[in-house]
Amino acid sequence: MDFAFLSGMLTQLLKGLPLTLNLGMLALAGGFGLSLILNLMRTTRVGNALASAYVFAFRGTPLLIQIFMIYYGLASFGFIRHGFLWPFLREPYWCGLLALILNDAAYTSEILRGGLRAVPRGAVEAARVSGMTRLTVMRRITLPIAVRQALPAYSNEVISILKSTALVSTITLMEVTGIARAAVSETWRAVEIFLCAAAIYLALSLLVTQLSAWAERRLSPWQFGETP
Amino acid sequence: MTLPSTALSIAGLRKSFGSNEVLRGIDLVAKDGDVISLIGASGSGKSTLLRCIPMLEIPDAGTVSVGEDSLSPTGGRLSRAQLAVARQMRGHLGFVFQNFNLWPHRTVLQNVIEAPLFVQNRPRAEAVDEATALLEKVGLSEKRDAWPAHLSGGQQQRVAIARALAQRPRAILFDEPTSALDPELVGEVLKVIRALAAEGRTMLIVTHEMGFAREVSSQVVFLHQGLIEEAGTPGQVFGNPASERCRAFLSGHFDRNR
Amino acid sequence: MQADLTLLGFGPDGWGLALARAGLMTLYVSVAAFLSGLAFGTLIAWARVAGNWPLRKLAEAYATVFRGVPDILVIYLFYFGGRQVVTAIGTALGLSGPFDISGFLAGVLAIGLVSAANQSEVLRGAYQAVPRGTIEAGRVVGMTRLVLFRRVIAPQALVTAIPGMGNQWQSVIKESALVSVTGLVETMRQVAVAAGTTQEHFLFYAAGAIIYLIITTLSDHVFRLAERRSLRGHEQGGI
Ligand SMILES: Nc1ncnc2c1ncn2[C@@H]1O[C@H](COP(=O)(O)OP(=O)(O)OP(=O)(O)O)[C@@H](O)[C@H]1O
Ligand SMILES: [Mg+2]
Repeated sequence: MDFAFLSGMLTQLLKGLPLTLNLGMLALAGGFGLSLILNLMRTTRVGNALASAYVFAFRGTPLLIQIFMIYYGLASFGFIRHGFLWPFLREPYWCGLLALILNDAAYTSEILRGGLRAVPRGAVEAARVSGMTRLTVMRRITLPIAVRQALPAYSNEVISILKSTALVSTITLMEVTGIARAAVSETWRAVEIFLCAAAIYLALSLLVTQLSAWAERRLSPWQFGETP
Repeated sequence: MTLPSTALSIAGLRKSFGSNEVLRGIDLVAKDGDVISLIGASGSGKSTLLRCIPMLEIPDAGTVSVGEDSLSPTGGRLSRAQLAVARQMRGHLGFVFQNFNLWPHRTVLQNVIEAPLFVQNRPRAEAVDEATALLEKVGLSEKRDAWPAHLSGGQQQRVAIARALAQRPRAILFDEPTSALDPELVGEVLKVIRALAAEGRTMLIVTHEMGFAREVSSQVVFLHQGLIEEAGTPGQVFGNPASERCRAFLSGHFDRNR
Repeated sequence: MQADLTLLGFGPDGWGLALARAGLMTLYVSVAAFLSGLAFGTLIAWARVAGNWPLRKLAEAYATVFRGVPDILVIYLFYFGGRQVVTAIGTALGLSGPFDISGFLAGVLAIGLVSAANQSEVLRGAYQAVPRGTIEAGRVVGMTRLVLFRRVIAPQALVTAIPGMGNQWQSVIKESALVSVTGLVETMRQVAVAAGTTQEHFLFYAAGAIIYLIITTLSDHVFRLAERRSLRGHEQGGI
């Protein structure tokens, strides 16, 4: 095996890691914010229908087509080409990030909804009856319980988004997978290069798994028999 | 000696769920220090009545007053201003649920200091001191850092009582506080409530424990199909009820218990 | 944009027929990938619950690796890497190139192997959800392991597994779009080609999205139906 080539390749691929992480984290942050809004919308009937339609559309289609739709498709509209957002929407970075955010929000909102449904009714009632405002009930009781319930599913979503960032290489972004593709077309050593790239993603998801196990133990000690 | 003043009063209270008229005009007054037991058959509306007081269910008509605050909601909803009053009223009440409803993500102590800190904005040290004393009173000082899920039902219910007391309530409402408990755990909870009665706390208790009701109550109220059918001292209601239905209910109950 | 909807029709300059064919190819790739994932995933799940220590560790490592790596990388690896390997072998044998491997095969294998990792997770969870008591009840009446599995464990585990397997099927459909990078003409590839040719990007990507929505929605209904069926049987059997 050509270790010099492998380590050189790994160094080269790692140059794409900042962009991968940047896209992944911003997508998660944006997606979480949007998923909160989607769940708030669900309190009204019209909002609920809209949120359901959104989730249906984004979970029912491949992320790849969502990326292409935003990057190539939106430019079909004159008002977008002449609109104030065009400086952003012509950039592959912003298009890729937008697609990742919209996609993540659909999945995260369902995860959050599951968590919210798992909050015991009695716990909320006890909070209301103690005189808390709706906001305090949300902040002190509902959200903490819901977030902790949703944590295992959410950690899967974090891994899934980190992996999904690989797809933006199809619209010319040079994150880890983009660099790997370019290197393959130069050297034709596909096996070594893609295995190197795979190792980077694998390390990332192992890290997320560890972090989430730690967070779970820390955040829901009552399920693990620990005493603070 | 001054006469005790009214802690809690209910007048003309009505509540329906759809076409099901559950409460059909209830009047009830609790003076400071009163212990009122609410008894009645299953489905007679006891829980609904109790839940209407802190507006967990919003009455269709009638007035609920707690101390200085008073609410007369109409049409089964609260306006924004009424909701603020309701919150104030809730702050002056303690509520103990059949299923305890402790907050699973907070320890025993945290459950007790939650409302003092985040509703009443009291200083932390003071809230913790008071909570510690309350846990001692219900016999759970050594469990202050345990999680609710690790306690027995009886212990959870005693924490719930401490949590209600931490509100410094004008009156405490109990909805069948021992019905979800294994028989051998009922005693420890009743003992705590009995001690509260001896302290002169104002309480409204929905219960099926007739012996207990007879012993601690200053007044017993029998509810039937959404109306107060019989009310009086324990001696009157248990010894010589005027209503035939009340008599039938009680004899059924005592037969079953024997 | 004045979308010319005849572009989507079946007329002489319509792409309707091509899109329909591409939709079928998506279905074809997905079914093949899902079934190979099911076969291999069952094996992995079995190794994880019943295997000896090294087998169990191996199966766990497999699941961790394939769940931690982007699907598109796996496809690249199988397609371009496969081509590299085939070329190396061919050249060594003195054959003359160019060497190529089928995008369909590489795609189905890649997605199937990724799905196997996920499906093994679902199946293992379903197995673990079977109440221990029912297994013991089978043991005390003297069932052999095989009978126990066939009559007690499998029927119960299947019911729990259906929703999870439905999700896996849904993600296989969506992952099948990635096979377009090999040049295989399934839905994603076909709409990209049509969009490029006609310069009607939005129109064709929207059409593609709708094709996927139709496939995912219809199959969701099928899985729901299956779930209800199995639950009904479960109740009858339970009483
Ligand atoms: N949220 C609700 N929606 C619809 N109907 C309700 C609701 N809550 C209570 N009811 C109905 O109101 C009636 C009275 O119920 P309530 O719980 O007040 O009875 P109860 O006297 O407390 O009975 P129990 O002794 O069984 O607790 C019942 O017929 C019940 O079905
Ligand atoms: Mg009740």
